[in-house]
Amino acid sequence: MMPATTAETQRAHRQGDAPLLEIENLAIHFRSPKGVARVVDGTTLTIHRNEIVGVAGESGSGKTTLVEALLQIVRFPNRETRGRVMFTTRAGQKVDLMQLGPRQMRRLRLDEIAYVPQGSMNSLNPVVRVGTQIVDGMVDHGVGEREARRRVPGILERVGLEPRVAKLYPHELSGGMKQRVIIAIAISMNPALIIADEPTTALDVNVQRRILETLSRLRDELGVAILMVSHDLPVHAQLVDRVAVMYAGQIVETGDVRSVVKTPLHPYAKGLMQAIPSITKPRERLEGIRGTTPSPFAWPDGCRFHNRCPYAMEVCANVPPFIAGVRAGQRETVDGVMDVQPGREVACHLYPESTPDAEATS
Amino acid sequence: MVFVNLFRESGKFRLGSIITLLLIVLALLHQPLVEWRIGNADPMKVGSFPIFLDPSGEHWLGTDRFGRDVVSLVLIALPISLTVAFLAGAISTTLGVVIGFVSGYKGGRIDAVLRTITDMFIVIPTLPLIIILAANTRNLGSVKLALVLAFFSWPVAARVIRSQVMSLRERPYIELSKMTNLSDREIIFGDILPNMAPYVAIGFAQASVGSAFALVGLTVLGLGPSSQMDLGRIISEALGYGVISLGKELIFVAPVVLLILLFLGLALVSQGMEEFFNPRLRGQV
Amino acid sequence: MVAGNPPATVLDDEPAGPQLSAVPRKGALNPTARYILRRLGLYLITLWGSLSASFFFFRMLPGDPISGIIAQLQTRGQYSAIEGSQDMVEHYRREFGLDGSLGEQYVRYFQNVFTRFDFGPSVLSYPTASTDLILRALPWTLVLIGVSTLLGWLLGILLGTLTGWRRRSRWAEWVTNTALVFSHVPSYFVALVLIIFLAYRFSLLPANGAYDASLQPEWSLEFFLSVIKYATLPVLATVLVSLSGWMLSTRALVVSILGEDFLTFANAKGLTPRRILTSYVMRNAWLPQIAALGMALGSVVSGNVLIERLFRYPGVGNLLVDSVVIKDVNTAMAVVTLLIFMVLTINLIIDLCLPLIDPRVKFTS
Repeated sequence: MMPATTAETQRAHRQGDAPLLEIENLAIHFRSPKGVARVVDGTTLTIHRNEIVGVAGESGSGKTTLVEALLQIVRFPNRETRGRVMFTTRAGQKVDLMQLGPRQMRRLRLDEIAYVPQGSMNSLNPVVRVGTQIVDGMVDHGVGEREARRRVPGILERVGLEPRVAKLYPHELSGGMKQRVIIAIAISMNPALIIADEPTTALDVNVQRRILETLSRLRDELGVAILMVSHDLPVHAQLVDRVAVMYAGQIVETGDVRSVVKTPLHPYAKGLMQAIPSITKPRERLEGIRGTTPSPFAWPDGCRFHNRCPYAMEVCANVPPFIAGVRAGQRETVDGVMDVQPGREVACHLYPESTPDAEATS
Repeated sequence: MVFVNLFRESGKFRLGSIITLLLIVLALLHQPLVEWRIGNADPMKVGSFPIFLDPSGEHWLGTDRFGRDVVSLVLIALPISLTVAFLAGAISTTLGVVIGFVSGYKGGRIDAVLRTITDMFIVIPTLPLIIILAANTRNLGSVKLALVLAFFSWPVAARVIRSQVMSLRERPYIELSKMTNLSDREIIFGDILPNMAPYVAIGFAQASVGSAFALVGLTVLGLGPSSQMDLGRIISEALGYGVISLGKELIFVAPVVLLILLFLGLALVSQGMEEFFNPRLRGQV
Repeated sequence: MVAGNPPATVLDDEPAGPQLSAVPRKGALNPTARYILRRLGLYLITLWGSLSASFFFFRMLPGDPISGIIAQLQTRGQYSAIEGSQDMVEHYRREFGLDGSLGEQYVRYFQNVFTRFDFGPSVLSYPTASTDLILRALPWTLVLIGVSTLLGWLLGILLGTLTGWRRRSRWAEWVTNTALVFSHVPSYFVALVLIIFLAYRFSLLPANGAYDASLQPEWSLEFFLSVIKYATLPVLATVLVSLSGWMLSTRALVVSILGEDFLTFANAKGLTPRRILTSYVMRNAWLPQIAALGMALGSVVSGNVLIERLFRYPGVGNLLVDSVVIKDVNTAMAVVTLLIFMVLTINLIIDLCLPLIDPRVKFTS
């Protein structure tokens, strides 16, 4: 019921909306004695206002590093960045997030871009009451203390918590409640964008569903865009408008989520879909993707997936494919001839748009 | 072989064990070294040399108020201090391991009682008690002294061992062993003890330091064994005849430095081991 | 509009969370009260146990106390008789509470101690009561211990926080390494060094006694200044060592807190560095250190004994050593009793107050 309704409203939102966050060819490398780890290696993604975009991938794909870098929440030194991330501020300015100094970044956080970390049980300060933890973010971004306190009950209600939760300490809350508090903090300053990193991991399925519903509702009520990272495809399917599949530091496929799930174009995406058991289809053997995730210190040549790809061709081992828009209509896809919806992009030699020569001539 | 790795990887352990080993070697070689310095004279004999000589080629640290060569005095005192400290460390570690083990393994009532006793010992200031005990015991030899010291320092090891045993007890491979009907004893000796070895070693190092501290406290007050000269006694006697006001501080510099080296060495060893065996303590990347 | 649940009922099918069950039920003895009672009980038992243990400890020390006492008194010219007659021995037995069976002595001793704070006459300055000797010495010890412990703790956790917060800077490394060395050296040795250099070589500060010998204890500025002057070296020696210990442990705590998830989130929230340092780092690091203060008290007291002796500071530690050396059992026992009582009581207070400041600590049985 819900996804369909959301999808319709999404299309309406998306068409009209201006770009909010434009990641342009972002590369994040880490220098270490073992060499250079190219964890994120050239990704381009645009998020529009009011849009929910998901980044899907396994561990090691670089998706977490990608979002952590956006807000400079980085744990390691020796980081090198290339590319730009253009963000449109409240004031209408476009700033490159990669170039911001610590003070500017601090002001931007929470106020314009909020972060929801993994459903970790430890993201709240154990010795400070919940209400105060909602308030302190606001106060440090210019809201007066009294005014901030006044807003707390409203914020809590928005995420589905009773106002009295403000008086409690984090250890007195359940996992789902803690995650809601974190979401409450994230919306407290009405940011334009919320970045959520695996927001439902470590929560049980029911709670998961509730949290996703809450996030979706917040987008509708507040008009906030959401960038969600998760390895869990069903989660993407429940929440996001568009999904970008990441592999080996690069985005290999994007498109409307239902479209990607029904007709995956990239062999890796197809492998991911196949690995999800279906309740409706007849029981069949689950297929994994053979091989293991490569190491960011040494990505494979050519297409990074070629050594695990059941459809690999000779060109795949030598020439890396570009991510490119795929022409809609009846197309020969990895699943045979299928009807491809507009707005899809893929980086795979199975689709001529992706191969450099085709680029040069078209 | 674990210790070889430890030596290689932990700077603290390396430094600490080198220092400690040097001290031990020095102690072991004290006899020939003394002979080298003062020939056949008895280092403790009063009046072997003129009193209060300044440091010279003959007497590297001069002589004390009783005309004894300070260097040889220190050389014979070192092994005694070391012996008492390590002996006390060994006794208290053994006691601590036994009690800590029973406490951790059996759990329940026994654990509660033992833990209360242990905590009591930790909280109560034991030095005053040691002082009193030592002062009132006739003929306090090294061994008795070590026993006294051990009696008050075992709780530290007991606590560490107890928590280690408790965490080991819950580990899956122990459950497995229990399921395969191994007797308690087999589990203890086969699975648990080998994993406790590093913690016993750490406990020993710490207990030795603690005992050494207490030993210094006692002997410096003049309550140590009267038949033997140990490092603390040198300090105590020196203070007694007023070296500071006479400007002859050099006399107790050597014992103080050696003792500090002992404390540092053992502390570094135990810290190095702790960091190595407890990955959580290692600095984060 | 999507699944329009009014907020009140969105409070879900989710379990209400553990906090509701922690609310005390009316009527039943709630866990808090139960815990307090148990803790108090433990305190009283420990107190009684250790006091009894020390009683028997002293009573079972080798040697006959009476002849020792008489010998002491003889050497001080209080008695000219060559050997004690039976009457004299009986007299002193009674005086010092050593008549009757062990059981009777035990009961009588405790009665005296708890009702009249009477520990019996001392030998050090017979016939002055031990209690009086202690009362005279106690303020000095309290001053010394109080000031050094608090200063060492406070400065230590402050420095520890700073070196943990800025642990990559050069000065932080230096300070940390220095502290590492100091923390393993007994305060006694530090005191010796200070005495050599500051008292003798450069005659900057005195190293003997609690105040200038020419002054009388009185409420005057001159006296206070003198007290401060004479307390400086002992306090300095103790503080240097204890500060290092606190600094290192606080630093370790701070470093581990910095790696915690809630710190990352605090950063992501865009909180000011100042707020992160105070509300997030310090508050989490200092709480365990308050509890640790209680635990450390035992060793503080022990170390203090040696320092007092070295500086001839007229506190109870010095008194203890003096009384032990001449086998003044009453005084020695009184000092030990006092020390044990102080340590246990302070620990009790800290334990009971801890939940007031640390919300995570709940009274659980």
